[in-house]
Amino acid sequence: MPGQMKILEYDVLVIGGGIAGGESALNLANLGYNVLLVEKELSIGGKMILLSKVFPTLDCGACITTPKISEIARHPNITIFTGAEIRIITKKGEHLFEAIVSQNPRYVNIDDCTGCQLCEEACPVSVIDEYQYGLVGRKAAYIPFSIASPRAAAIDIENCTLCGACERVCPTQCIDFTQTVEEFLVKVKSVVVATGFELFDPLKIPRYGYDKFKNVTTAMHMERQLSPTRPFNSILRPGDGKLPDNIAYVLCAGSRDKSVGNPICSQVCCMYSIKQAQLLMGALPMADVTIYYLHIRAFGKGFNEFYAQSQDMGVEFIKGKIGKITEKENGNLILRYEDIEKGKVTEAEHDMVVLSIGLLPNQGISDVFDNETLQLDPFHFVDQSDILASPAKTSIEGVFVAGTASGPMDIPDSILSGGAASAETTSYLRRAAL
Amino acid sequence: MEVEKGKTAKYLKAKRPVPKDVTEQLKSFTKSKKLLLNTLMESEKTVPQLAEELKLPGDEVLFQLMTLLKYGLVETGEIDDMDEYFYYKIKSNGKDKS
Ligand SMILES: Cc1cc2nc3c(=O)[nH]c(=O)nc-3n(C[C@H](O)[C@H](O)[C@H](O)COP(=O)(O)OP(=O)(O)OC[C@H]3O[C@@H](n4cnc5c(N)ncnc54)[C@H](O)[C@@H]3O)c2cc1C
Ligand code: SF4
Repeated sequence: MPGQMKILEYDVLVIGGGIAGGESALNLANLGYNVLLVEKELSIGGKMILLSKVFPTLDCGACITTPKISEIARHPNITIFTGAEIRIITKKGEHLFEAIVSQNPRYVNIDDCTGCQLCEEACPVSVIDEYQYGLVGRKAAYIPFSIASPRAAAIDIENCTLCGACERVCPTQCIDFTQTVEEFLVKVKSVVVATGFELFDPLKIPRYGYDKFKNVTTAMHMERQLSPTRPFNSILRPGDGKLPDNIAYVLCAGSRDKSVGNPICSQVCCMYSIKQAQLLMGALPMADVTIYYLHIRAFGKGFNEFYAQSQDMGVEFIKGKIGKITEKENGNLILRYEDIEKGKVTEAEHDMVVLSIGLLPNQGISDVFDNETLQLDPFHFVDQSDILASPAKTSIEGVFVAGTASGPMDIPDSILSGGAASAETTSYLRRAAL
Repeated sequence: MEVEKGKTAKYLKAKRPVPKDVTEQLKSFTKSKKLLLNTLMESEKTVPQLAEELKLPGDEVLFQLMTLLKYGLVETGEIDDMDEYFYYKIKSNGKDKS
């Protein structure tokens, strides 16, 4: 009940701590506004912090993200809630929104946690590591990943046996199983929605055999395998740990496909696949990489050159539509496809297939708005009500959108969009002050 | 209520019993960990060799093995003659602290 809740006041509430939300928060904070950044995961950084290298520069993802993330985390004008949820947002009037925010217990006092990982070592429980996309296990007492921010332990209470081993070894006694959900009533003048995207679930295309054939994997799994904080000792095919030497990419898996409910282009899959192909050729010099595509979307600055570079490196591009994937006894995969240029149906064998899965809207955020409607576009991304003149504007005055919450885009565009959202928010806040 | 720092698990245990599937999952992990480590104790092995010996699917063996590698109980050995599969072995100074 609001009467019993702690009341907090900020200028802006930013929902989502990915690169777009982070950029908005940082710009606003640098202009002197007080920002509350609410992130549902245990770390800020969004998907970007889990990427290997990024196109088109091939810079290390973590090396770009980490300094920005630590600037956000250390900024005196930014308060961060991780592992937190927005329950409801009500517009109370011009420049006044009230949000109810639930802070879920982490069972660790993050200010006291040194990230020593002794609790991890002591914990006997092992469950699937969601931050490694299920490729390895993690403990019930765990640091989400090595470059997480905050780099503090958390207890996965759903899987905890309450044996207390973590507490006994914790040198700072920061583990606290008496923590409970805390609810806050947050009053703000403006809101930035930066809730990002979801990944397409490849189970929706049964003919690709994902999950049934263990050597059919997704590009997000490959990002983890290519990252310096990779789950395996090397790049291995997931079915039996073989070093792959003939890898296929299937583009547009779950994008531009009405039959799976996503008719639009995901914008980044061509480029991230070309990036991964280059990285694979560097990591596995003997490997062949083939990309099956319908069209290559290389529209950004330096993208076409990046595409040409991959061709020069020996990546094979086949304009082909995959009909079906089947598995051989040795785990290799047979791709039956229509070779569009040759005009015939043919087959090819690969020892690993990577599905370049698309970017979907992260639905749900519109439901938290109580007395106003956050309009969605026909594809369920947050609608940009004045896309040409004011790209961050939404259907609710004072609520702005940043990054992939408004549609698929790459990192540079997400940062630009975060910048636009902060500029439009500033102009809205300035109007309040006049 | 005066909370005893460093011994707080008991308060939650008193309020909320540990679900059965959680204890079952712990048992199953402990069992497969022992099995895998015992098999590697005999000699270093590749994933297909472990899968055959333990009668488990290769993907499950890889998951468990990579988890033990992450926990510092297993280490990577040489690659086989065909340059296809790595051998894995018990980590010489790896101690199970859980
Ligand atoms: C496999 C793959 C590889 C890629 N490689 C590249 C590349 O090389 N170069 C490139 O430019 N782009 C790449 N991209 C695209 C890049 O990931 C995105 O452009 C970028 O992550 C978008 O950032 P964002 O902040 O909009 O969204 P996200 O990264 O999705 O961040 C959104 C954040 O909001 C949080 N959130 C969601 N809902 C809520 C809620 N209700 N309350 C609180 N928090 C919430 C999420 O937990 C998340 O932290 C790649 C994408 C994929 C899938
Ligand atoms: S109390 Fe829970 S988290 Fe801590 S060691 Fe035991 S099982 Fe792991």
